[in-house]
Amino acid sequence: MEATKTAVKPAAAAIAVRDLTFAYAAAPVLQDVSFGLEKRAVGLLGPNGSGKTTLLRALLGHLPLKRGSVTVMGCDMARDPRGARRRIGWMPERGGILPGMSGVAMVAYLGELGGMPPTDALQRAHEVLNYVGLADERYREADTYSQGMRQRLKLAQALVHDPDWLLLDEPTSGLDPRGRVSMLELMRDLAANKGFGIILSTHLLADVREVCQEILVLRQGRLLSHGRVEAAPPGATAQFLVEGFGDEPAFQAALREAGLEAVRRERLLEITAPADAGARLVLAAASASGFALRRLQPRRETLEDLFYQLVDDADDARKD
Amino acid sequence: MPVYERGYRPWEHSGRRARAPWWTIARRGIAEPLKSRRLLFLLAVAWVPAIVKGGILYFTFQMGELSRLIGGKWTDIGPRGFLTYLGWQSPFVLILLAIVGSGLISRDRRENGLALYLARPLNVRDYVLGKGAVIMFYYFAVTLLPVWALCLFGYLVTSGATGMQMLLLIPLQALAYCLVTGAGFTLVLLALSSVGQRTVFVALWWVLLYAGTDGLAQIMSLFSPGLQILNFPGQFLNAGIVFFGGEPLCEVPPVLSLLVVLAYAALGVWVLRRRIKPVEVVA
Repeated sequence: MEATKTAVKPAAAAIAVRDLTFAYAAAPVLQDVSFGLEKRAVGLLGPNGSGKTTLLRALLGHLPLKRGSVTVMGCDMARDPRGARRRIGWMPERGGILPGMSGVAMVAYLGELGGMPPTDALQRAHEVLNYVGLADERYREADTYSQGMRQRLKLAQALVHDPDWLLLDEPTSGLDPRGRVSMLELMRDLAANKGFGIILSTHLLADVREVCQEILVLRQGRLLSHGRVEAAPPGATAQFLVEGFGDEPAFQAALREAGLEAVRRERLLEITAPADAGARLVLAAASASGFALRRLQPRRETLEDLFYQLVDDADDARKD
Repeated sequence: MPVYERGYRPWEHSGRRARAPWWTIARRGIAEPLKSRRLLFLLAVAWVPAIVKGGILYFTFQMGELSRLIGGKWTDIGPRGFLTYLGWQSPFVLILLAIVGSGLISRDRRENGLALYLARPLNVRDYVLGKGAVIMFYYFAVTLLPVWALCLFGYLVTSGATGMQMLLLIPLQALAYCLVTGAGFTLVLLALSSVGQRTVFVALWWVLLYAGTDGLAQIMSLFSPGLQILNFPGQFLNAGIVFFGGEPLCEVPPVLSLLVVLAYAALGVWVLRRRIKPVEVVA
């Protein structure tokens, strides 16, 4: 898994953010954040306090921006906030339940506020509550829902007006394992089969890995990385862990001749090679030097590796 | 049931028109308290003075000056008499608005509902207008509507042109008065509701402001009559002289009372502008 620089330029994107800068009092929370997103599932990652929720609020037009612009499906948030918000469904992390209403009444009410005629809103409320798995509980007071049901209800109200994008703030927060799996299944289905763009803000890397094709990594209000979560692209490098016996200096010399780098890590050799032809070159070098391989294992870079590497690099840069 | 079996289809627009966001908010806000039988009972009781006033109207039109000789100022059916009637409604305004208005914004703030509203295609003005319309509706229900109903009753029972002439301008005077004072009460109560997150405390502040300043001003005016200006509901009622005419109800000039009402409304707008935000931003 690897993050590569995005190919989507802000101007052509479904969501385009340019030079977004925002500060609470004197403390900067977002600094010069720019990116463009196509309609797909995007993970918004970052440690606590990195500005994830603030970025979502900025995408909703909730913040008085010092600088920058947000465009959603061609609607500029500053000039046409109603048009932009019509295309967004937001699922907040905290609260988000209107007291004193049944599930279906709340979703229909918010559908109407989303610009739907009353009859459409009511019909659609029933449909989305069925979709999120709350069909049997829709007439119950929302105040009495369990945490899992509340999260589903919040997803339903985000979906009801059929937006293009869903902004989900910690949607699996407080869920038991079964509830979490179910919520992830819904998000995956919405992004993969129903054509929604999703921005999933979370600090749970496993959730992002399950749902998203793209990631944005924030650290102290700055965008550290924006890339796709996919197999390594052509030209990228990969690591291989190698163990064997025979003439190791000759094997290392053959590797160098083939243009590969090898570093010893205790009992193993870590070889950096082109991702597309790495294994073949290592085998050729071993054959040429008479080195018997016992193990040739590609070392997969996980999302966790990538995330921690990015965050650590940013910390190091700050200390320097 | 697995997700793929539940089905999902995009919204197919029926072609019907959507309601204005403020009206959607107002409708819900008005309908919700009407589910309570206690509130319906209170509304019914609030119309009892109107029935009494209707009786006065009937006897005055039937007996003429004799009624005035028996009842004195109390039976006045002119504009000033209708302002007196609106004064009778003061306790109902206090209780009813405390019940329906205290939680309008505070509950949303407590449940992070404000951000939920403002994530929809509506703005702060729609939100405040919708919530304000709820308070205005209930205020009108115990002030303006009874006055209009009484005037209609008066037109029906009066036998001569004098009676008709006497009641002719009262509906318009009452409308102007209720619009101004209703807006003042609404903005003050919404401002209080936007400051707190606990409905019960907002209601308590409202009662203190309404009944507390009334009592305090009565005591203070023993030392200086001009201190009646501190009387919150008293100033709203005294401002009514500007619309209905007649002698001031206290030592404060009615125009000054009207300015006080407008100042309360402006204060309410100022608080609401600071408090109604999707995100609390420390400037």
